[in-house]
Amino acid sequence: MFSKIGLAISFSPTGKALVKESLRLQQLFNSRLALIHIGERNSESEELLFKTIDEAGADRNNLEIIWGEGDPATAIINAGKEAGIDLLVAGALEKEKMLKFYFGSVARKIMREFPASSLILKSPSLEPIPFKKFFITADYSSRCEKTICAAFQFALKENAEEFTIIRDFYMPGLTAAIGENNTYDELSSLIDQMKYEEEEKMKLFINELNLKGLEIKIVCVYGKEGWEDSNYARTNSADIFAVTGPEHKMRFLDRFFQHDIEYSFEKLPSNLLIVR
Amino acid sequence: MQLSNDQVIIFLISISVMLFSAKMLGEIFTKFKQPAIIGEILAGVILGPTILGMLSPGTFEFLFPKNSEINVAMDGITNIAVVLLLLVSGLEVDLSVVFRHRKKALSISIIGIIIPFLLGFGIAYLFPGLLGLIESQDRLVFALFIGTAIAISSLPVIAKILMDLKIFKSEIGSIIIASAMLNDLIGWIIFSVILGMIGANTNGFSFSETLIYTLSFIAFLLIAGRKIINKLISIIQVKLTFPGSVINFILILGFLGAAFTEYLGVHAILGAFMVGIAIGDSIHLKERTREILHQFITNIFAPLFFVSIGMKANFITNFNVGIVIVLLALAFIGKIAGCSIGARLGGMKKNESLAVGAGMSSSGAMGIIIGLIALQFGLINEEVFVGLVIMALFTSISSAPLMSYFLKERDKTKFRNLLQERFVFFTNESGKEKIISRLVEVASKELKLEKEVILREVMSREKNLPTGIANYLALPHAKIKIKDPFIGIAINKRGVNFDAADGLPCKIIILLLTPENNNEIQLQLLSEIAAKFRSKEQVEKLLALLNARELCAELKKLE
Repeated sequence: MFSKIGLAISFSPTGKALVKESLRLQQLFNSRLALIHIGERNSESEELLFKTIDEAGADRNNLEIIWGEGDPATAIINAGKEAGIDLLVAGALEKEKMLKFYFGSVARKIMREFPASSLILKSPSLEPIPFKKFFITADYSSRCEKTICAAFQFALKENAEEFTIIRDFYMPGLTAAIGENNTYDELSSLIDQMKYEEEEKMKLFINELNLKGLEIKIVCVYGKEGWEDSNYARTNSADIFAVTGPEHKMRFLDRFFQHDIEYSFEKLPSNLLIVR
Repeated sequence: MQLSNDQVIIFLISISVMLFSAKMLGEIFTKFKQPAIIGEILAGVILGPTILGMLSPGTFEFLFPKNSEINVAMDGITNIAVVLLLLVSGLEVDLSVVFRHRKKALSISIIGIIIPFLLGFGIAYLFPGLLGLIESQDRLVFALFIGTAIAISSLPVIAKILMDLKIFKSEIGSIIIASAMLNDLIGWIIFSVILGMIGANTNGFSFSETLIYTLSFIAFLLIAGRKIINKLISIIQVKLTFPGSVINFILILGFLGAAFTEYLGVHAILGAFMVGIAIGDSIHLKERTREILHQFITNIFAPLFFVSIGMKANFITNFNVGIVIVLLALAFIGKIAGCSIGARLGGMKKNESLAVGAGMSSSGAMGIIIGLIALQFGLINEEVFVGLVIMALFTSISSAPLMSYFLKERDKTKFRNLLQERFVFFTNESGKEKIISRLVEVASKELKLEKEVILREVMSREKNLPTGIANYLALPHAKIKIKDPFIGIAINKRGVNFDAADGLPCKIIILLLTPENNNEIQLQLLSEIAAKFRSKEQVEKLLALLNARELCAELKKLE
């Protein structure tokens, strides 16, 4: 499924845990592993990196180490592309400080721009365990089909306990449209009716994908698209929240007038799998 | 100045009469699927100088005395009403939806403002007599105002139309809503700039100062204000009483914003609208809070406001056919053409673009509010005001059927429009492969595609998961390289095994072919067809029919 996993590694306190998590994923997918480090290559940095790798219990001969220089995010993205990485693992804070979020952090730039799939771990563990609760945000696009299938294969390999597809939808102006002649109960029942319709449609959509081996739960939530699904995953303690990577390059204004996936980028609901 | 005991009594009675009449007539119009606003304005026309003032001047003068403190109190209420209307209108603006559809929404709203604005401005500037310009008035400001009044759209009316046409959740519905939101935002800013130009403020700001302060205020609300408000709402909801404290907070901010822009001389409505946008953007604002605010404002303040509109002028003596025709022509031509061109340039199909134009042509309450403010500022006379109210009402009524016409007649994603007698046949063939093969043969001739190509796709889908649904229905389907969906129907009264969920043999076999890379159309049609076959009794009635014509006619009737 993922033939080559890349790990963006720095000398941060979570470095060793990230290597351990990546090793587990490497075994899970039976893939190759490449470590990407951006920074000056000298004996001191080499020693530090090797120490992290050794302490994590990785076999240096069984992995590729890629050194790069320059702006860390751009260098990681370029190195990942060149090395043919199809799943880039990186660590990230659950929430960045405001200015850093708007003007860019390494992890957020990877989330927005890395051309292949990425897995962002918000609290990598020194003793990694399989991910058990998968939540996937879905619409009916072909790109989303790929996301669901990738997350499903991942969940199967992890022998996951829960695989939930979340369909969130919102109709701005709805209150104004029915405002004067309907009660709150009528508005609620209208929303419930729409949720039911969306759920039925999503069932048909999932049927078409012919996924077998895990029970699939479908949930429809009403509210701001991108925020509601992310919030649902957070409140249900998801291990993995899978999203479809943005179709277009996400720019400053997308962060500013947040929509869709940007809500998850701003505050990670759980570990984030971005499928491209 | 203080109201006497008698004046308080008359004031309360007149408010009750206004509310009662507005609600009654509003309800009647709602029953006929028309906007309540028409009934509410009609109530004002009946209670105002047009009818009551003519038939019983004494009663009219008693209930609504001119030049008294009661009048001042009533003015206060209508001012609060208009501020609240704009506040809730702003609450409905969702910046993330606007941003998601930015390319199309920008194209539709900007061109949809520029064309009607230029048309309105041009006609009013070049032929001011046509629209009753008084010689002493500033021709430029008058023309700018007419342009804006023509260019504005009404979000609530548009939302209601989309809801009635059941396209609210669709892509086109979302684009229209986003465009209407952007249109409102741009329209109100332009209108405020015009008000700034006429030097309406009394606080000594120059036009450039007013402009700078206003744009700074908007920028502050959109950049930092909405983030701060979002945080505050989340705290208030948790720490204080819900929903009372949040509603209180929203109203306080709305009034403060309104007071600030009034101070700047660009009218209170802009402040209320912008604060509404900043509040509506909050991810913490609950639907229930929105709904309570809406109920409170649309059932109390909106009727009072619209009744007062009907009472502002004599709609008979001030009815000028020429002005009404010119305004209607400008609104229809300008708005439909502008928004349709914008939608086309934004990459939408021809019929969708025309539907967008028709939907956006409704100026509704927003057009009326602009008219009222212009009347208050002496920018227009009562004849133009009456013309604008009629234009707003007429466009609100006409946009739904027009939009429906452009969408429904040519909508090739609806089952009823795809159903054709020549693609329906009765058969005794046994075995699902044979029936599917015959259906594919019909499709192949119509679509001019190789039978084998279609058959391979359909059978491959069938092998993955059998398509027997329930209630004698089977729905073999596939996505192939076609432009529009295809539906073919085979009836086999003996039934064929399609592994249906209820174990029954399938007697109605519907082949559905949809364009590849468009899951949405396939899912929409699949769920539409499955919903039509929910009742077993209905399906048994269909099976009793003997020919394709009858069958198609009955299928089209199924909900």
